[in-house]
Amino acid sequence: MSLNADSADMAFTFKGGMLPMTVMELSSADPELIRRQLAGKLSQSPAFFQHTPVVLSVEKLDEPHLALERICAVCRDHKLLPVAVRGGAEPVRQSAWALGLGWFAPVEEGRARILESVSRMIEPEVVADEPEAQEGASVTTRLFRGTVRSGQQVNAAEGDLVVIGAVNAGAEVLAAGSIHVYGALRGRALAGIHGNTHAGIYCRELEAELLSVAGNYKRLEDIDSQLLGRAVEIHFIKEQLEIKPLT
Amino acid sequence: MAKIIVVTSGKGGVGKTTSAAAISTGLALRGKKTVVIDFDVGLRNLDLIMGCERRVVYDLVNVIQGEAGLNQALIRDKRVENLFILPASQTRDKDALTKEGVEQILEQLKEDFDFILCDSPAGIERGAQLAMYFADEAIVVTNPEVSSVRDSDRILGLLGSKTRRAEQSLEPVKEHLLITRYNPFRVTSGDMLTLDDIREILAIDLLGLIPESEAVLRASNQGVPVTHDASSDAGQAYTDTVSRLLGEEMPLRFHEVQRKGLLSRMFGGSRR
Repeated sequence: MSLNADSADMAFTFKGGMLPMTVMELSSADPELIRRQLAGKLSQSPAFFQHTPVVLSVEKLDEPHLALERICAVCRDHKLLPVAVRGGAEPVRQSAWALGLGWFAPVEEGRARILESVSRMIEPEVVADEPEAQEGASVTTRLFRGTVRSGQQVNAAEGDLVVIGAVNAGAEVLAAGSIHVYGALRGRALAGIHGNTHAGIYCRELEAELLSVAGNYKRLEDIDSQLLGRAVEIHFIKEQLEIKPLT
Repeated sequence: MAKIIVVTSGKGGVGKTTSAAAISTGLALRGKKTVVIDFDVGLRNLDLIMGCERRVVYDLVNVIQGEAGLNQALIRDKRVENLFILPASQTRDKDALTKEGVEQILEQLKEDFDFILCDSPAGIERGAQLAMYFADEAIVVTNPEVSSVRDSDRILGLLGSKTRRAEQSLEPVKEHLLITRYNPFRVTSGDMLTLDDIREILAIDLLGLIPESEAVLRASNQGVPVTHDASSDAGQAYTDTVSRLLGEEMPLRFHEVQRKGLLSRMFGGSRR
């Protein structure tokens, strides 16, 4: 079942989207300290505190248990609306869910860890370095052989997309996970369409009209011309799309 | 059993009708019984290029709607034996074509002919889709120019999905690339895409390369398919193309800048 199925009679449609979101990066878990500093900020810029939705990032905190409920209460007192928590250990995740908040995986640094987290999200039981387990991962991977031509759209709604061939100008390839093009990428490539920021795009020859990871996009015009025609990988790192040559 | 070949491109003005006329003439000259059908209902041109516009009585739409028999509508070519033309209607539009009607005509023609060429209208709408729907093979006409290449790419996508062969999961339509209006001088100077660029993007077999030539314009204005002009570069290139279509190996010509000989430089011999 495609998520993009005909929506004429449907009460709703799911759409991937990137909304501007304030991340409140906590460097202390002390609710009182947070309260005092928030009060100071509120007096400086009251316009900001208008029931602004925030994601509480606890990645820098090394504590397995947090007084999440109290921290949220402090935020709400200052007209900030926590909607989700990012990072933290299992107990943090459980208490976020108990409070009706969403939970995001931490943004990790370094490629190896990113790949690890991607495989965790797609196929939880995958164990790295085990060939059999990797076979299992291909259940959600879509393989397309041949040229994706102008006007065609190839969508891997659940996992990764692998194209053995070129993606021509005017064509579009989409994937919930990563996109691999073993040929020239001349069309549009949108990875992580349901918001997976760890998805990547890989191609043998970059000429893409548009590159997007989880809604963060670059147009051909925005791409450094030195990278055009080269084999590259594209990831969402530090809040922007990073294009690196594959060496 | 006849082979149905659609001549198509997506983009207009790239030389579909010229190529359909030239290739069908070439096939007939090789002794193959050939009919060429104009699918461009409303913008009928093939009869002009073939020089039979004064002999059109009935047309494709008349046959589909049962107003005339197929044999009444077929026009016999005056120059070559074995060549027939089924003209389009100029007064109707493409909605007058039906899939069932086209199928019936093609089934009937298959009995008598070796080759049925369908000259597609430009675009990707009904007329173009019906022209390609029953095809066994497709000749995709492309100019060395980015918009033409992109439209050809689009057409190739449709050939792989919107044809009877695709819908019934039969052996896919055999796709051939025909590059027209190729000017090696302008390719060298960077004004035009190179042969290799086009082949790389479209990734299908090259059937032929027709050089940009004064002979083509002259031929279409005179209503004599350029294949008859055996001394011209374009005429020879179409003859080569027909040979390849019949499965013969032919070396590629006219794709490189020719050094002018001393005589032609002295007398300014122009390319014919």
